[in-house]
Amino acid sequence: MSDIPETPLYDRAGSIRGYRMNKMAMSLGIPANREAFKADESAFLDSHGLSEAEKAAVMARDWHEMVALGGNLFFILKISAIDPTPMTRIGAAQAGMDHDLFLQQRLGKI
Amino acid sequence: MAKIIGGVGTSHVPSIGAALDKGLADTPDWKPFFDGYIPGKQWMADMKPDVAVVIFNDHGNSFFLDRVPTFAVGVAETYRPVDEGWGPRNVPDFKGAQDMSWHFVDQLVERHFDPLVCREIDVDHGLQVPMELFFGHPDAWPVKVLPIWVNTIQFPIPTPQRCWDMGKVLRDAIESFPGDDRVVIMGTGGLSHQLQGSRAGFINRAADEAWLNGIADNYEHYRDMTREDYVEEFGSEGAELIMWLVMRAAMNDKVTLKHRHYHAPASMTGAGMVVLENA
Repeated sequence: MSDIPETPLYDRAGSIRGYRMNKMAMSLGIPANREAFKADESAFLDSHGLSEAEKAAVMARDWHEMVALGGNLFFILKISAIDPTPMTRIGAAQAGMDHDLFLQQRLGKI
Repeated sequence: MAKIIGGVGTSHVPSIGAALDKGLADTPDWKPFFDGYIPGKQWMADMKPDVAVVIFNDHGNSFFLDRVPTFAVGVAETYRPVDEGWGPRNVPDFKGAQDMSWHFVDQLVERHFDPLVCREIDVDHGLQVPMELFFGHPDAWPVKVLPIWVNTIQFPIPTPQRCWDMGKVLRDAIESFPGDDRVVIMGTGGLSHQLQGSRAGFINRAADEAWLNGIADNYEHYRDMTREDYVEEFGSEGAELIMWLVMRAAMNDKVTLKHRHYHAPASMTGAGMVVLENA
C-alpha cells in the first residue's frame, strides 16, 4: 500500500490477494468465456475458484469492493464489457460519490 | 544510419479509441480533444517517418499477472490488435520493424538491460490509440512499429531514471542501425488520472500543464522524481508518464517544442501531447 491518501498501489499484497478474481476477469478477453459468464455467472465464477466474498462483489458489480479484495481495474474492467458500464460510473463508485457530483467535483464537468 | 526525426509524447486513453469507433469524435465532449491533435497529425504527415518506436504499457490484455516483465521488446513480423473484452476493433495489423527491433535487443543486453523478447504478441490500446491519433485510420499503417512495453501496473514499476537510461540505449541503437530509416519515437501514457481507490477521478491540471511545458527543457526535474512523487502528483495510473522519459532521453539535450495540446477530462484523464524536434 502507499502512504498517499486514498491511493492503493497495486503491489505484492494486492496482486496475491486478487489473483483469482483478476484471472477470471482476464479470461473474459476470450469470446467463449464471455458467453459462459453471461450464460451462468455463478457457475463461471465457481469454476475460477472465487471465494464467496469475491463472488458476491462481482455479481453485485460492486467496484469498490472488488478493488478492496485485490481486483485491479485493468482486469476487472472486462466485466464492465458484459453489461456496459461507463468508466466514470466505476470511478464514482470507487470514490463513493453520486455520479453527477463525481463528474462535477472530481472531473470538473459542469 | 537510421535517423531520429522527432519525439512525440501522447496520452493513450482507451476511451479515445471507443469514441472513434462510435463516431463521437465530433461531439462537444470530444471535438476539442481531437482538434488539438490536428497539428501533430500534420507534422507526422510532413515528416514521413518509416518506423515508429512506441513505448507503452499493456493493460491486462497481452500480459497477465502470471508473468510481469519490467521491460519487453517486440521482434514480431506483425502485431494484431487484441480483443480487450469488447470484441475486435477495426484497426489494421501493425507490421514490425523486425531487424531494428533485434538490433535494439542486442544493444540493450550489451548495455546490461534484460528485456523480455516477444516474437508473437498482440497489442492493446496503449499502442493502437497513439497510432490512430497521429496517423489517422488508414487501410494500412504508413510505418513499421518497434513496440516497447513497460510495466506500470504492478509495483515495483521501473524507476524514472531507468526509463531514462533505456532511452539513451534506444537512441544509440537507432543511430547505429544501417540504412536510412526515418524514426519517430512515441512515449505514451497519462496524463494525470486515477482509476482506483477513493481518490479515483483525481486530475491535476496544473501538474499536467507543467509537465507539457517542462518535458522539453526541465527534464531533469521529472527524471529525478521518485515513483511515489509521480503517483502523488499525477495519480496512481498517471505514473504511466515515466514512459515519456524513454522518448525524451533519446532526443538531444536541447529540443524544440513544436506542438503542444492539453484537454481534460478525456473520460477520467488529463489528456494531451507534445511534438519535439532535436534543436
